Amino acid sequence: MQTQEKYEVAVSSLMILICTVFLWESWDLPAGTFEPLGSGPVPQATAGIIILCCLLTINSARIKAKANASEEEALPLSVMFGVLMALATLLFVIGLHFRLLAFAWMAAIFLTITIWGLENFAKRKFLPAVVTGLVIGFAVEYLFTQVFVVDLPT
Amino acid sequence: MDLGALGSAVSQIFTPWTFLMLFVGTSMGIVVGAIPGMTGAMLIALTLPITFYMDPFNAIILLVSMYVGAISGGLITATLLRMPGTPAAVMTTFDGYPMARGGRPGRALGLGITASFVGGLVSWMALLTITKPLSIIATRFGPFEYFTLIMMAMVLIASVSEGSLVKGIAAGFFGMLISMPGVDPASGMPRLTFDYYLLNGGLKLLPVLIGVFAVSQIINDALDMGRVTERIAMSGKGILMSVKDLKTQGVNLVRSSVIGTGVGILPGIGASIGSVIAYTVAKNTSKTPEKFGTGSEEGIVASEAANNATVGGALIPLIAMGIPGSVIDAILIGALMIHSIQPGPTLFLTNANIVWGMIAACLLANILMYILMTSSVKYIAGLMYMPRSFVLPVVMVFCVIGSYALNNTMFDVWVMLIFGVIGFLLERAKFPLGPFVIGFVLAPLAEEKLRSGLMMTAGDPSPIFTRPMPLLFTLTAVGLLIWPLYSDWRKKRNAARDAD
Repeated sequence: MQTQEKYEVAVSSLMILICTVFLWESWDLPAGTFEPLGSGPVPQATAGIIILCCLLTINSARIKAKANASEEEALPLSVMFGVLMALATLLFVIGLHFRLLAFAWMAAIFLTITIWGLENFAKRKFLPAVVTGLVIGFAVEYLFTQVFVVDLPT
Repeated sequence: MDLGALGSAVSQIFTPWTFLMLFVGTSMGIVVGAIPGMTGAMLIALTLPITFYMDPFNAIILLVSMYVGAISGGLITATLLRMPGTPAAVMTTFDGYPMARGGRPGRALGLGITASFVGGLVSWMALLTITKPLSIIATRFGPFEYFTLIMMAMVLIASVSEGSLVKGIAAGFFGMLISMPGVDPASGMPRLTFDYYLLNGGLKLLPVLIGVFAVSQIINDALDMGRVTERIAMSGKGILMSVKDLKTQGVNLVRSSVIGTGVGILPGIGASIGSVIAYTVAKNTSKTPEKFGTGSEEGIVASEAANNATVGGALIPLIAMGIPGSVIDAILIGALMIHSIQPGPTLFLTNANIVWGMIAACLLANILMYILMTSSVKYIAGLMYMPRSFVLPVVMVFCVIGSYALNNTMFDVWVMLIFGVIGFLLERAKFPLGPFVIGFVLAPLAEEKLRSGLMMTAGDPSPIFTRPMPLLFTLTAVGLLIWPLYSDWRKKRNAARDAD
C-alpha cells in the first residue's frame, strides 16, 4: 500500500475510534424533557455520518492501493526537521505546564534548540541561534506582559 | 445604502490610532502573505489574542485589513518562487512565474497588483449594496432556514475542497463533533465532557484554529525545509499598468471580479476556488488559450482579480447572516464573539458602527494595499528569503502565547498542540481543513436552530420540505451530493461506449 493510502486508512481509523468514543459517551445522555430531540441524537447522528464517510474512504484507499501497487510516494524532504519541531514544541509545552523555568528562559532554550536544529546543527549557526533565542525570548515576554498586558505562564 | 454611516466610519478610521491599525494590518497581511508557508488565516488567528484588550472597532479594522493584505501578498511568492504564499494564489503561479522567469517579473507583479485592486473594488461595491438588503431578508429566516442553509454550506464547501467529497463531508462533520463537548445549548447541562471538568467549558475556537492552521502548517513547513528555491532578480520595471492595458484586460478584469464576488458570497467557499473558476473561464473564453500556463497576462489578471474579489463577497454573508463566507471569515466570527459582538442579521442594528467599520476597512485597506505594493514590492520580495529555520520557531512561540492568553490556562495550549497534530494528519491524508473549521464554527448554531425549530413544531421536521427556502437549500445540498456520482457514472458510460 502506498504512503498516501496508508495515511488515509490510518487517519480514517483514528476518526472512527474517536467517533466510537463519542457514541459511547453520548449513550447515557438523557432524553429531552421539554424538547423532542434531547442532548444525544445530534452528536450520535454526526458521529454516525463520520463513521460512514471514513469507512467509504478506507474502502476507496484499499481499491486505489490495489490498482497502483507498484508506485511508492516519496517521503517528505526533511522528516527529521518535522520530528524535531514537533518534539521540541512538546517539551516546551511540558516545561511551561510544570513551570520549570520562567517563560523567557523556556522560550529562549526552545528557540535556540529548534533554530540550531533546523540549520542541521551547523557549528557556525549555534551563536546566531543562541542570540536570536535570547533576544526574542525576553523581548516577547516584555512585549506581552508589559505592552499588551497579556499574562504568560511564568 | 447609508452613505452617511459609511462616511462616519471612514472618518473614524482616519483618526491616528485607528489608521495605524489599518496600516499595520495591511502591511503585515502583505508581508505574511508573501512569506512562503505562512497564511492569512494563521496571521489572523495569531493576532486575535492581541486584540483582546483593544477597542472592538480598532480590532476589527486591524483584522479586516490583514485579510485584504494577506490575500494580495500571496501574489509575490507565486510569481517569483512559483510557490503560492497563500492558497488563493495557486492559479497565479501558472502564468506569473513563467512571465517572471522570462525576464518580466515587474510586469507580472504589476498586472497582479492592479487586478487585485480592481477585484477588491468591485466586490466592495457589492458589499456596500447587497449586505443590508440581505440582512433584512435574513431576519425573516426561521430556525429551519438557518439549519438547512448551514447544511448546504457544509456540503458546498466539501464538494469544492481539495480531496474527495466524502472526505470533505467527513472533515466538516468531524469539526461539528469536536465542537459539541461542553454545555448542551438547550438544557444547559454538561455534555460529552468524559467527566473531565476542564471540558465543561468546551473546546475554545482560538486554540483549535491556531492548532489547525498555524501549528500544522509549521510542522508541514519543517518537513519541507529541504526544498531548494530558485531566486529571480526583481525589478520594478512595468509595475504600473497603463490605460491601454486596462482597456485590453477590461472585460477579463470585470468578469473575474464578478465571479470572485459571487463565489465569495457562497458560504464557506474562499479565494482559492474563486481564482480557479475565474482562471478556467478566462482560458475558455480567451482568443489565445494556448498561452495560458506559459505567461499569459489574462491568466494572471483573472486569478488575482477573482481572489481579491472573494474578500468583499465573503464578508456579505458574514455581516448579513453570521455565516462565514470563507475560512478566514470563520476566524473573524471568532473575533466578533471574543469582543462580545453577536454575529447575525441583527448586527446592523446592534453594532452598526462595527459593520460600517468593516465595510470601510475593506475599501481603505484595498487602496492602501495598492499603494504599498506598487511602491515597495521590491523590498517586500526580499522578505521571501527570510530563513525559515528562524521564522518557524518564532511563530511557534507566538502560537503558544496566543493559546495561553485566551483564558490563562495551559489546557488551551494542550488543545492547540493536539489540534496541530490532528490538522497535520488530516492534511497528510488529504482531508480538507476548511470544512473542519467551518463545521466547528457553525455546529452550535446549526444544532440550536434544529432543536428550537423542532420544539416549535412539536418534533415535526416537515417544514424542511414544505417551506420554500429550506426546501431550496435542501435540494441544493442533495444535488451537490448526487452530482459527483452522476458525473462519474456518465464518464464510465461514455468510456464504455468509446471502447465499444
